[in-house]
Amino acid sequence: MNDIAVIFQTEFMRRIRSRPYIIGTLFGAFGLAVIAILPGILAASLGANTKTIVLSAPPALLAPAATLLRKHYDVVALEVAPPAHPTLAYLDAHGKASALVEIGRTPRGLHVTLFARDAGAVRDALGEDLVPLNVALATKLAQRRIDQLLVVPVETKSLDAKFASGAGAETAKGIALAMVTILYLAIILNAQNILASVAEEKTSRIAELLVATVRPSTLLAGKILATAASGIVQIAVWIGAAYVAAPLIAAQNTDPSSLATGASTGNDALFSVLNSIGPSVIAAFAAFFTIGFLQFALMYASAGALISRTEDMGSVVAPLVIPVVAGFLVAQIAVVAPNATNVIVLSMIPLVSPFVMFARIAVATIPLWQVVLSVALNLAAIVVIAVFAGKLYRVGLLTYGRPPKLTQVWAVLRS
Amino acid sequence: MLVLDRVRRSFGSVPAVRDISLTVARGSTFGLLGPNGAGKTTTMRMILGILLPDAGTVTWNGAPIDDGVRRRFGYLPEERGLYGKMLVRAQIVYFGRLHGLEENDAGRRADRWIERLELGAYAKRPCSELSKGNQQKVQVACAALHDPEFIILDEPFSGLDPVNAEMLLGVLRELQARGATLVLSSHQMWQIEHLCDAFCIIAAGEVRAAGTLDELRAAWPTRTIELEPASAALAAVMAAEPGAVARAGSHGTLAYDVPAATPLPPLVRRLVAAGDVSRFERREPSLNDIYLHATGDRG
Repeated sequence: MNDIAVIFQTEFMRRIRSRPYIIGTLFGAFGLAVIAILPGILAASLGANTKTIVLSAPPALLAPAATLLRKHYDVVALEVAPPAHPTLAYLDAHGKASALVEIGRTPRGLHVTLFARDAGAVRDALGEDLVPLNVALATKLAQRRIDQLLVVPVETKSLDAKFASGAGAETAKGIALAMVTILYLAIILNAQNILASVAEEKTSRIAELLVATVRPSTLLAGKILATAASGIVQIAVWIGAAYVAAPLIAAQNTDPSSLATGASTGNDALFSVLNSIGPSVIAAFAAFFTIGFLQFALMYASAGALISRTEDMGSVVAPLVIPVVAGFLVAQIAVVAPNATNVIVLSMIPLVSPFVMFARIAVATIPLWQVVLSVALNLAAIVVIAVFAGKLYRVGLLTYGRPPKLTQVWAVLRS
Repeated sequence: MLVLDRVRRSFGSVPAVRDISLTVARGSTFGLLGPNGAGKTTTMRMILGILLPDAGTVTWNGAPIDDGVRRRFGYLPEERGLYGKMLVRAQIVYFGRLHGLEENDAGRRADRWIERLELGAYAKRPCSELSKGNQQKVQVACAALHDPEFIILDEPFSGLDPVNAEMLLGVLRELQARGATLVLSSHQMWQIEHLCDAFCIIAAGEVRAAGTLDELRAAWPTRTIELEPASAALAAVMAAEPGAVARAGSHGTLAYDVPAATPLPPLVRRLVAAGDVSRFERREPSLNDIYLHATGDRG
């Protein structure tokens, strides 16, 4: 087994057995599941209290109004003659209803009076739901005709061959934003892990023993590969958590009757999302994760080699965070305007482009030459960064004392 | 055989090693001595290829030291370092594998070294839980696990209690017996004097003295004469001796540095003729004397 493989194996095992990694992975997975499920649970519990109403209306309007309101409300009682001054006790007596909805007629149309525990929570869809009845009373048109008139069909024909419909493009934007976020987290977290690992070897003074045995470049390569692999395992666990959570997510977004088949529905939902991403986007994600991770891992590793005390970590990291955050922010603009001139230019600039070019690929059809040029520039940048970062790493690993000044760093880079 | 030929290394404008040349015979034990900041660690790092010399060459058995050669070397640096959370045995095995051993072989050897260094109770504990002395023993195992043909030990005795120092001395004797070439750096002269076949004393990045102890002594300009009793008659004889310089002797003893070439029989006859002589001793310079003289600190 060659040295890189030995270092890779040891570093990988050391990392995945470390307490912070295990805690981070489990909490990440748990957090992801909670984030996915929590809104549904909250909405469900909120809905139970806010959508139960008692409906009061003149006899002729009671049935059609109830039909319309049942779209969004659970109508627990129909009243022709409600009390003049309803109280909370009245609502409690009607299944702890949230509100009494009293519908009347005026010369200008329907008028609704709402007696509610929390008016804001109930009124959202009320007026909108009653519009067809209001129109029917005013125009005498048939209900079906009114329903047709209230909906204007819009057909979108995308000029970009990537998506057949506007809905597809919108879905892609949402997915692209999510993937850019994962890309950002995967790159910055793993690059910081490299920094911490190098700093540990430097501050524990084991670095000298290691570079007396293997070349610094071999040591660095083994560490970077191990960190990348452990990062991929972590992402896989998180995706696994999403896979498990998916049935629950799907279940809360469907009617209760589908709960029995919730598992398959959830998995189908996940597969449906994955299918909508497409192989080219997945390939682009893998490629730009690799490119971005290598660029930042090399820079973070050299930064880690420059410090002698873990307390100095923050000061050397600060400048390196800027391009990552810049790339992440520009990528969000790229999702909305993938072919804006500034975005195109930034998708060519190394350090930023792994985020920006990936975002563009995820939402639009990018000319092949732009993708090839971006990848070529990034690969060239990796070579340049590797040369300079390698120098800093080699020199920094055996240099102790105060963190070097910029002039000293520059002198090493020029050497 | 290790040969350094006019090796030079600077850090920025500060010269750390200036044209050092030395030869370490295969299978010998070599003492590299010098005060702090003399350039010892830089020299060792250049031998191991951690640092590249600005000028000059370093060869092992006539060939430059490449990755394959370095794999057969061992190193115990002055600044001790271990992965704090890694278990003792795993750490030793890891370094064995980095030196080219298969995992199973490294494991078997690690077990032997753990037993040899009496680390059995700590084998499955993280290194950070060990005392400084035990951590140092782990590092010795890391450096020697792969049976290196050449091993550098920078201050191997520092931090060890007398029992563990004796144990390390035994380990070094075993390595010598196996034919390994050793380069030692230590400030504990009494240990290194008995362990090494040859020495190189450097100061300010330069070689100040080199050779076997006999060669170093032969080049020493004076010898110390100690006399008892500390009588005025004997002191008068020594005062008349050409080149004799009085030294501070212990209570009841006279001590003088005399030129190395001073013939002793006539001097002894003159002393006996002058008065009673209960003790006459010609003392060879110790390694410590030579070291202090060579590094410019004559005490």
